[in-house]
Amino acid sequence: MSNPSTFRFLDFLVTILCWAWFIFGFLFFFSWFYVGAALFAKNQEASFQRLNSRFFQVFFGILRLTAPSHQWEIDEEVAAIRSAVIVCNHISYLDPLLFIALFERHRTLVKGRFFSLPVFGWIIKKSGYFPASGEGRFSRMMIEQMETMKDFLLGGGNLFIFPEGTRSLDGRIGELNQGAMKIARLCKAPIYVLRIAATDKLFSPGKFLFQTRVQQSISLKILKRIEPDYQHHIPSAAALEEQVTEAYGVRQS
Amino acid sequence: MTRDALQEKILAILIEDFEFEKPGLNDNLRDDHGFDSIDAIELLGKIELILGYSLTWEEKEKAMGIRTINDILDYIETIEASRRLKTED
Repeated sequence: MSNPSTFRFLDFLVTILCWAWFIFGFLFFFSWFYVGAALFAKNQEASFQRLNSRFFQVFFGILRLTAPSHQWEIDEEVAAIRSAVIVCNHISYLDPLLFIALFERHRTLVKGRFFSLPVFGWIIKKSGYFPASGEGRFSRMMIEQMETMKDFLLGGGNLFIFPEGTRSLDGRIGELNQGAMKIARLCKAPIYVLRIAATDKLFSPGKFLFQTRVQQSISLKILKRIEPDYQHHIPSAAALEEQVTEAYGVRQS
Repeated sequence: MTRDALQEKILAILIEDFEFEKPGLNDNLRDDHGFDSIDAIELLGKIELILGYSLTWEEKEKAMGIRTINDILDYIETIEASRRLKTED
């Protein structure tokens, strides 16, 4: 079983299984619930977020079963986070999916082009995800989401954002966008700084196959909780960014 | 409110709340001061406080296209003028 070609075949099988879940799991199981939520749910956004979370919980269940050499170390405190803006480094396409699986009530930023995709665009719009830029046709969506963000967070929801904006290819923290800090400031919400590690070993940027036979630990840890005294002083986004940068141990230029 | 008084208020907000350094009336807000859509939404809340009334969806959407401080002043003046017209009708 230690033959590299056997490994690749197993990786291929796991990859196919994951894609099968994405396509057929959605078509045969979840699509009915999404349609039901769209037609009958009182709070469509919450229902869609819950369905997304369940869908990816199954996805990660499949991955854990089929790639047992990867250990998962997720701080219990992470799953318990509520009413916060969560920022995290970004190393794999799996990262946002893991956050969706972890948090039943969540919002996040999504690249604008995804909103034009059939089905997927409809789901992310209904889920209350919003585009990174509020210009042009996204103006109204951005304003609506921002105006309800404070209540969403107060109600126990989390907003998670990868402030680097894109995946790091070498594991180093890139330049941070201040958007997450600006939203935290606007909503007077705490910021949790998280570090994710080794998801890129399971699903590497630029590769099609999951690397299921690598022995290593995927971890998600809280590095810092930033809770400014908003009552007495509202810090600037730059000051909050500095604290986030410090948490990652990155020297500012 | 005169344009000068409005300008003074907007500049004070941009300097104190958004930490602008030496803002120029025709600076590009995004390129020169990192002012983005989220900032624009925060500024809209402050403009509503200045005006003393809530903005409509259409008015808010127009604000997302603002590029300079002069644009902000024009935007507020246009809203004030259109509201005045409506009340006169």
